[in-house]
Amino acid sequence: MSAPILWIAIPFIAGILIFLISSERFSATAGGAISAILALIALFIPIDVALLLGTISIKISPAIQFFGRSFELNTADGFLLAIIYGLASLWFFGTEASATQSRFVSFGLMIVALLTASIAVEPFLYAALLLEVATMLVIPLLVPPYQKPAQGVVRFLTYQTLAMPFILFSGWMLTGVEASPSDLSTTLQAGVMLGLGFAFLFAVFPLYNWIPMMMEETPPYATGFLLWALPTFTTIFALGFLDRYTWLRNSTQLMSAIQFAGLFMVASGGLFAALQRHFGRILAYAAIAQTGLILLIFGLQTTQMVNLVFLTLIPRGLELAIWALALSILKREAFSLQFSDLQGVARKYPVATASLVFAHLSIAGFPLLAGFPSRLSIWQSLTNDLSILFWIFVGMFGLLIAAFRTLAVFVMTDESGWKLNESWVQVTMLAVGVSGLFILGLFPQILQSLLINAPTLFEHLSQ
Amino acid sequence: MLILISCLLFFLTSLILVGLRIFRPEARYTWLVAVGGAMLGFVSVFLWLVQLPLNIALPGIPTLDAFNSSLIFTADGISFPFALSIAALTLSILLTAVTQPVYVNTSVWAGTLALGGAGILAVTSNNPLTLLLLWAALDLTELIIHLSSVDGASNNEKVVISFSTRAFGIGFLLWGSMTSIAEANTFEFQSMSASAGIFLVIASGLRLGVLPLHLPYAPESNLRRGFGTALRLISAASSLILLGRIPVGILTSSLTPILISLTLIAAIYAGWTWLRAPDELNGRPHWVIGIASLAILSALSGNPIGAVAWGCALILVGGTLFLASAQNIRLNRIMLLGVLGISALPFSLTASAWLGNLSFFIPFAIIAQALLMAGFIRHTLRSTNRDTLDNQPAWMQAVYPSGIILLILIQFLLGFIGWDGAMQIGAWLQAIIASLLTFGLVWASRRFRIFNPVRAHWVSTTESRLNNLYQGLWSLYRFFGRVSQIVTKTLEGEGGIMWTLLFLVLFVALITQAAS
Repeated sequence: MSAPILWIAIPFIAGILIFLISSERFSATAGGAISAILALIALFIPIDVALLLGTISIKISPAIQFFGRSFELNTADGFLLAIIYGLASLWFFGTEASATQSRFVSFGLMIVALLTASIAVEPFLYAALLLEVATMLVIPLLVPPYQKPAQGVVRFLTYQTLAMPFILFSGWMLTGVEASPSDLSTTLQAGVMLGLGFAFLFAVFPLYNWIPMMMEETPPYATGFLLWALPTFTTIFALGFLDRYTWLRNSTQLMSAIQFAGLFMVASGGLFAALQRHFGRILAYAAIAQTGLILLIFGLQTTQMVNLVFLTLIPRGLELAIWALALSILKREAFSLQFSDLQGVARKYPVATASLVFAHLSIAGFPLLAGFPSRLSIWQSLTNDLSILFWIFVGMFGLLIAAFRTLAVFVMTDESGWKLNESWVQVTMLAVGVSGLFILGLFPQILQSLLINAPTLFEHLSQ
Repeated sequence: MLILISCLLFFLTSLILVGLRIFRPEARYTWLVAVGGAMLGFVSVFLWLVQLPLNIALPGIPTLDAFNSSLIFTADGISFPFALSIAALTLSILLTAVTQPVYVNTSVWAGTLALGGAGILAVTSNNPLTLLLLWAALDLTELIIHLSSVDGASNNEKVVISFSTRAFGIGFLLWGSMTSIAEANTFEFQSMSASAGIFLVIASGLRLGVLPLHLPYAPESNLRRGFGTALRLISAASSLILLGRIPVGILTSSLTPILISLTLIAAIYAGWTWLRAPDELNGRPHWVIGIASLAILSALSGNPIGAVAWGCALILVGGTLFLASAQNIRLNRIMLLGVLGISALPFSLTASAWLGNLSFFIPFAIIAQALLMAGFIRHTLRSTNRDTLDNQPAWMQAVYPSGIILLILIQFLLGFIGWDGAMQIGAWLQAIIASLLTFGLVWASRRFRIFNPVRAHWVSTTESRLNNLYQGLWSLYRFFGRVSQIVTKTLEGEGGIMWTLLFLVLFVALITQAAS
């Protein structure tokens, strides 16, 4: 068995099969179980290392050829696959609790498989094409059959599609830069092309307006999944670029631009979140601020960059999953996520509202919760420039205000007494998720043991 | 290790009580278990004296830089009096709970003990990371308890506002710590930089409702006497310990006089409302703000030990009054001795309170102190709403007062032993002036209408001018909301893509220009 078949082909085929079966409960369990098994295999069975089980020798070979292209997953990718499929299983198990359509799991699995292919493909520029295919698969995930796609979805597709030619074109130019690094004009052009491509992919300011639009128009759980999956793989793709091209890493101008873009996203995302009156839009701006934090880490130019990125990405998956699940539960009650429609809902849905608030606080970097350790590390790394740190604090302050407004809306009611209207599946999923937030917040050492191999994945960035 | 043993005793007893509540709900010895655990915890804190200073470091959050991010707990001349006060308050709450039914109150007693343990951990924390984690834990606990026990939209909103101001206090502590790392390359209290010190004072002031003056305390729930007192006073103590940890001499910023002025306003205002409060429980938030303001004044005057003294007085003297739920003339007279604890007279608990340099601000500080003392005397002597112990068995009649007297005894004891502020003569002249002024206020309060207690429902709405300020802030917020709507509509509307691309070009032009 080869690694690409195991972590790309099998989940992709499973996604197709689940789509054909179309049973809500079965699809959630099957998708969650398949992802969990793949995560466990990635965690415990190293790639390209022979394991003896009695007289049987098992070895997962690292590469496969497909239409002249190579798909390669090495030993170092094991932890990455474990994280990706572990978090994906959480999303898929939550499908039933969120009452999202069964095709979420099938398309979700296919998207994750394609995105995994994007980090395995060689030449790695083909990743842009795979990201584009994954983007197109998002459309049926978000838009019900025979319905016109909402404006946010169209804009999402437009921007993500615009990213592809920029990335491919910059890739072609980069080979020229590698050949003659002294040619400054080619370098600058390649840098701008690459920057624009990633600006579309990461949805930097002002290209992020599709995110709040989509959170308002489409099912929150599916959109939440999208907000987790795409930036995660785009981050890994971007790390690959930085690791491969020395001049990119050493370009102080580019790094400053990345840092500036990230800072703008953190500050504007936080401030806009504080001013919203729609719970879905608040999630959108929080996700934008988080992506901004990742860009800021890119700009830090520290050997700890890879560790910091993953220390931010892993809690992000958990936070967004809890937040999106809680929003789905509340949307079923009120059919809207406007403040006015959900006022006082905490008395009817205490677990969903509490989980939402904890996930929000975690993204804002509140102590004790999963987001805090990574924020603390980022803040400490930025103490040499207090003005940057100040704007990060402004962004986090905005997110905190949004969290307090959310909490106030949820609890402001003249009703007395509490009722538990969530199902046991919903309560269990949310309770597990919130426990995870506290465990990762109190014992981040758990993540550190997982991240021990992270630097080997991007060797140049960790030197 | 002794620090952890003390805290574990409180936590373990709390767990045992929860177990008894579930498996033996009718057990009649529950109160004895609670008091036994609290007693052991109290004695164990006393034992710290043998080995002071004590240090313990636990593995904390492994950050990626070289800064020490261990959780450090220290028992020293600053944290010991706080820890002893909290342990005494916890024991006192349980001793005075002797008259209450067992089944209903087992979980409340368990909560009180757990809170005592957490409070001791908070006051012994000796670096910003440890403190902010414990602040967050206490704040979340308080939020959940209050939200589950208050009714009404307005009350629930106040609970959230209370939580949010405390969270912003955590933010200021974090910012102060980052400033300190930037300037002095340290993440410890002992070597904080000067500019960081001011942020620590603001963090503490914000959490206590002093800077700017506001009521950070959620409306009182039905758990007013015992657990409510523990929650309120321990939470305040956990914020005040920060003032004790600020190194001497670093608060000499240009902001200091402004902060002193604001704090004095808060102190005098809180003292006045405390004096005129209808009863001690309604006035409790003002008591906390008043004493906390005096603690902040001490810290700002370069006297962190004074802040510790006021912090202990907040718990011990306040606790005496807030826990007294039964009518007993002799006990009331003994309780009056509590006023010595906030008098700043030589060898009293607060003897070290005014050793700093407040220069021309000192008369105002004395007025605030006198108002608080007069209010204390007034509320001690007004005992109309209290129950009577006459129908209780003799042993209960003996145990109940011992809870109150314990707090007074500890208050006297701390005047003499165990910490850096013990055995101090202090600023005796100021203390005498404050005492004379107090007697004058007590005398006047019985003769002039202006001193009459305000009705209960007025207490929380008297800050009309402050409300105007907050209304102004709210208008500003709505203005920004409208601006954000315009931006959002522009970018998300029909011509959004064009606008976005235009912004993108501008953005790229800006960045390339900056880069060149």
